[in-house]
Formats: sequence, structure tokens, C-alpha cells
Amino acid sequence: MIKEGTRTLLAIVLLFAGVSYYFITQTLKGKIKPYLRRIAGLDAIEEAVGRATEMGRPIHFSPGMDGFCAETFAGLSVLEYVTELSARYNTDLIVSIRVATVFPVAQEMVRQAYLTAGKPDMFKEDTVRYLSGEQFAYAAGAMGILHRYQCAGNIMMGVFYAESMLLSESGAQVGAMQVAGTASLAQIAFFVAACDYTLIGEELYVAGAYLSQDPQRLGSIAGQEYLKMFVMAYLVLGSILATGGVNFLQDLLSK
Amino acid sequence: MRKEIPIALSFLAGIIMLIDSFTPGNFAPRVELSKWLIIMSAFMVGIASVNLVRIHGANVISRRKGWFNSFSLLVMLVAFTYVGVMKYSYPEVETWKVLFQNFYDYIMSPPAAVMYAIIAFYVSSASYRAFKARSVEATVLLVAAVVVMLGKAPVGELIWSKFPVISSWLLNVANTTGQRGIMIGAAIGGFVTSLRVLLGLERGHLGGV
Repeated sequence: MIKEGTRTLLAIVLLFAGVSYYFITQTLKGKIKPYLRRIAGLDAIEEAVGRATEMGRPIHFSPGMDGFCAETFAGLSVLEYVTELSARYNTDLIVSIRVATVFPVAQEMVRQAYLTAGKPDMFKEDTVRYLSGEQFAYAAGAMGILHRYQCAGNIMMGVFYAESMLLSESGAQVGAMQVAGTASLAQIAFFVAACDYTLIGEELYVAGAYLSQDPQRLGSIAGQEYLKMFVMAYLVLGSILATGGVNFLQDLLSK
Repeated sequence: MRKEIPIALSFLAGIIMLIDSFTPGNFAPRVELSKWLIIMSAFMVGIASVNLVRIHGANVISRRKGWFNSFSLLVMLVAFTYVGVMKYSYPEVETWKVLFQNFYDYIMSPPAAVMYAIIAFYVSSASYRAFKARSVEATVLLVAAVVVMLGKAPVGELIWSKFPVISSWLLNVANTTGQRGIMIGAAIGGFVTSLRVLLGLERGHLGGV
């Protein structure tokens, strides 16, 4: 019934789901009060929008280069927050999109966020723009937006590839305050070099919970920390056992 | 219902994909979902193209600054679509195939190659800013970067034979350790985020519901 070689993986998935569920319910009951450390990059987003307001220039947002994956969802959570800030400060927002499937979702959520903030007029046809499905054509389009509009803020959250350097350097050239977040290992170094703030790996995934302070989401983050401890313990124990010639934990993963 | 229906559909689709991952053979609902995904993606490209045409069409009609660029984009959008449709409608006609390939090889690829090449210059300017020894961390970064560069460049070995050894250690041990840590954290974070989407806890993408 269960595919050969995936039994342990299934057990791990169920364990992770169970632990997350437990912490979510405990947080909702008020038995656990998760504390999230300060994440400078997320705090800086409001500063970037405020700075753009003072300068009378727009904010550019990119939800990354990939379709619907965990990183894109995390990026869209940040977009919701940026739109709220844009409405609060009356600052223009430009969202550039590379993946066609993400476009209608991003468009609708920005429209709704402006509507909820009581400023439906702030949503315009060109607030959310589909640029191109081609990687470098998208990069060229986004670079053009940064230069033409002299954006005062450039926020990039999601999956990025080689264009990360092009986007962040263009932002630096126009003097934009830049906040980036990605779990794409190869691009983190580029963002760290070129941006003012960078959310590294898992920091991007907690963005939605951190910004909303929603107890359900915070609960799942608490669960995530315990899962991380479990993985670390597994790794340390597995390494010690493997050094002693016992490969039980290593073999277990392929069962 | 604006909230419940999308959450229920996300949950259902996620569960179908999960079942497919853990059961032998192809799980029929997953195969069906994959077909839906292709059809829906095609529709989304249509919706996105309408946005492109409206924004650039308005630029051309209002003669905004740079309107000619928008006009070029619209012309190419129509031309490429037409040639593509003709190529697939009349596969026996060689002209459409050649034209489609030429469009790709001589119009799309060269600018993409240029964009890719620009990265080298941008890396230099970003490195110049990042490698200023403003703090202890930045100094460590600067020293590590110089050692790695010297270790990878042939001249480094001539200066000191240990540069390639230290460079390899920095890349294979120090760098890999950090990357693995980020990778494990990101993998767990990705899993829990996916779980939140499945359970409807991550609702940002549903647009203020």
C-alpha cells in the first residue's frame, strides 16, 4: 500500500504534522505563548515604506521567480503587509510578477488589501504587473521599473535565481532601501552583499507569522523550532553512530 | 464562502499530492489534477497577457514617455504568438518552424545572454560595497573573500602554496557547514509553511479574508 522507500518519510511527515498541530492548539488555548526574536529585516520594511513616503517615490515588490511553493506563499504574506503599509502611508506600490499563475492571485490580494484599508482608489491597473515568463526578460523589466520610477524601496521575497544580483544592484543604483528574503542558497550571498537587510532561509517562512502576530501561525513556528531540535539531535546521534560503524539511523531514512 | 472554498480546495489538492507521493503507481486524481494545472496555467497566461496589453496599450495611446518601447513589445507579442500558432497549426510548413526558431535565436536569446553577462559587473560593484571592513563581521568576510579569490586564481598559488588549501577548506568546511544549517532550517520552515497553507492558516494569498 505504501510506496517502497517512503515509509520513514511518511512517518516523519505525520510526526511533523502532529507536532505542528499540537503547538497550534496549545497556543490557541493560551497554554503556550511563543516568542519570536526580533527580525531586523522585517522591522525594516515599515522604515522602507516610510522613507518612500517622505521621498514621494514608489515601492517595488517582487514575489520571486517561482510558481506556488512555500517560499512564494511566504513572499505573498509579506506582500499583504507591504500593501497595508502602502495604503496607510499613501505610497504607490508596484508589484512585478514573473509567473502567470501567481499574477491573478497577487492582483486580487493587493486589490483586497487596499479595499480593506478603505483606499480602493489606490489600486490601479498597473499596480500589479505581469512582466514576462522569461527569467532575464523579467529581470530587465523589473530593472526598468526600478530605474524609471526611481523606487525608494525594493522588497524581494521568494525564490530567486541569477537575476537576484541584477535586481538588487539596480535597486542599489537608484538608492532604494532594499529588503530581500529567500531560501535559495546560491542567492543569499548576493542579497547579503547588495541589500540593506536579508532574510536568510527560514526567516522568510516566519515572516507571515511575525508580521501578523496571529497565534495560530505563531504556534506552528513554535512547533517548527522543536522539529528543528529533533532533526539536529537525529543528525548528531546519526553521525556518532555512523562514526562507530552503526548505520541504523542512516538506513532508517531509506526504509 | 470566499474563505472556506479556497481553503477546502487547497486542502483537497494537497492531500491528493501527498497520497500520490506515498502510494505506488500513479494516483488517478493526481494525474487528473496535473491536467487541470496545465489548462489553468494556460488561462493564467491569457489573463497575464491581457494585463500586459492593457498597460502597454495605454502607454502607446497616451504617448507616454518611452511609448515606442511599449509599441515594440506589443508588436513582438502579436508576431511571436502568430508565428507560434502557425508553427503548431501547420507543422509541415518549414517556413514557420524556421521563423519561430529565428525569433528565438536572434531576438530573444541575445538580450538574455547580455543580461546574464551583466551579472559579472554587478557582482563586482556589489562586492566592492560589501567587502568594506566596517565591522568585525565585514572584515572576516573581506579576509575570507580575498583568500578564496587568491586560492582560485593561478597567481595565488605562486604567492603562497597554501592559498588553494585554505581556500578549499573555507569553501568545503566553513561555507558548507553554514549552508547545510540554512538548508535544514529552510526545509523544515518550508514544510511547516506548506502545512499552514494546507490547513488554511496561511491566508495572505487569499486576499484579506
